[in-house]
Amino acid sequence: MDVEMKTVGVCGFGTMGAGIAQVCAAAEFDVVVLEANEERLALGRERLSGFLEEGVRRGKVSEEQRDAVLDRVRGTVDVGKLAACDLVIEAVVERAEVKAELLAQVAGVVRRDCLIATNTSALSVTDLAGAVEAPERFAGLHFFNPVPLMELVEVVEALQSSEQTLAALEQLGRRIGKHPVRVKDRPGFLLNRVLMPYLNQVVQDYDDEIASAEDIDAALRLGLGYPMGALEMLDMIGLDVHRHATEAAYEQTRTPSLSPPPLLGRMVAAGRLGRKSGRGFYDYEEDSK
Amino acid sequence: MTVGVLGAGTMGVGIAVTIARAGHRVIVRDLTTDGFEQGIANVAGFLDKSVELGKLEAERRDVALAGLSGTTELADLAECDVVVEAIFEDEALKAKTFGELDEICREDALFHTNTSTLSVTAIAAGSRLPERVVGTHYCNPAPMMKLVEVARGQRTSDEAYAASVSFLESLDKRVVTTADVPGFLVNRYLVPFENDCIRALEAGLGTVESIDAVVTKGLRYPMGTFRLLDIVGLDIHKAVSTSLYERLRDPRFAPPPLVDRMIAAGQLGRKTGEGFYTYADRKLMGT
Repeated sequence: MDVEMKTVGVCGFGTMGAGIAQVCAAAEFDVVVLEANEERLALGRERLSGFLEEGVRRGKVSEEQRDAVLDRVRGTVDVGKLAACDLVIEAVVERAEVKAELLAQVAGVVRRDCLIATNTSALSVTDLAGAVEAPERFAGLHFFNPVPLMELVEVVEALQSSEQTLAALEQLGRRIGKHPVRVKDRPGFLLNRVLMPYLNQVVQDYDDEIASAEDIDAALRLGLGYPMGALEMLDMIGLDVHRHATEAAYEQTRTPSLSPPPLLGRMVAAGRLGRKSGRGFYDYEEDSK
Repeated sequence: MTVGVLGAGTMGVGIAVTIARAGHRVIVRDLTTDGFEQGIANVAGFLDKSVELGKLEAERRDVALAGLSGTTELADLAECDVVVEAIFEDEALKAKTFGELDEICREDALFHTNTSTLSVTAIAAGSRLPERVVGTHYCNPAPMMKLVEVARGQRTSDEAYAASVSFLESLDKRVVTTADVPGFLVNRYLVPFENDCIRALEAGLGTVESIDAVVTKGLRYPMGTFRLLDIVGLDIHKAVSTSLYERLRDPRFAPPPLVDRMIAAGQLGRKTGEGFYTYADRKLMGT
């Protein structure tokens, strides 16, 4: 598929969708973002402006770049508006039936040579490919949050994906300034496959009172040079998000290290989801830690 | 304070530097005269370099060097307030050494063991006064790394623990406290993560390069797992991993079969010119 890509469709204007739209627009693609209704579209646009303003404030994005990106991103609530896309990246809620239904609709409106990718992190890309007509043009394109800052993107090979599709997605990844790595469609793909057992181990150790949260994280930062400790990272990811991802991987593999430690479920039940709820392993309300 | 450091290897020297430059008197003990003399020369060399780089005032180096001495005799450690053991990673030998120091040191002297994978409790059992024994695990290179893991053995007293923390803080270290668990924190999280990466490679989930890219660009760790393993050496990784596995019986700690194959093939990492990566100097050695 050597067709010069010009227009990228993004399904979903949440955190991931907005980030994907931003990096594609910054690489001079025309971007069309599909949302379920006007209200969500407006929220997504606010999110995108927020990222860009933050970039301007930090001196990473010029005002011209900000305006150019906002100009290139159009929103729509009509799936038919994706018809001209060369690539559509789906980044909606992590529920198989929702994704499958939307992907089938997308496949119904785009050209037959339009590439279609899913940004799922916990579902099987091969399963989702089943919903897409001409599934050889389908694969996973797994971005990491925050998308504008994270250099890695996993190109996930569904059993149905063609070599051309995978190569084109790798090329796209490089064009938007990312480092693409090709991975198999296995639970957790590659990054989460090695990250989740480590996070689970640290949570269990914390629950076993082997050390305090602060000391565990300091050991990881100062002893191993990691940019953040495991518990700080979980608070950022969201404990509910991690629990869902590791549970899904566990159910498919029965690998004990992927099984969510009991404390995770209890913290989720108690509403301690991390930064977004004001409290996780750390308290974000009382101080700015 | 007067501090004895047992062992003039890499860790012993690094620990001696750290303690001496904080203004304490340091006595380095090694089994041979050559050993401690070389150790002292290495400490002096490190301190000179620090002065050269503008990281240490010349007067502080001079004070450190004036307070630095060496010996082959444990008996010369009688005046020490703290003895830091950094000898070979052998539980029985470490335990026996503390037993010998009981006969030499004051009863209020602190005994620190710099083990990375052994049980502090088991080592402390070699002393008549196990309450004074504390695990103090420095990271390599000790003078540069801010972190020290302090592990309390089963019988470590609150007093010895508190005094050890103050002592380490006087060395400008960030102390983290852990239970006496295998691998403490750093190795407990690093080693199984490394094994998981090796298993991902074995399972064809990625290549050496793609897994390292995931680690450095995705997780933003300072070095890829396979680069790091090549530096550490596959033989050393296997020894550490096996030692932790034997104590924990957690399969993530068991060295994967690929490690054995690479060791058998002489692919130990940088030191043999080949590990997960191939290093240019190997070709030089071959010609």
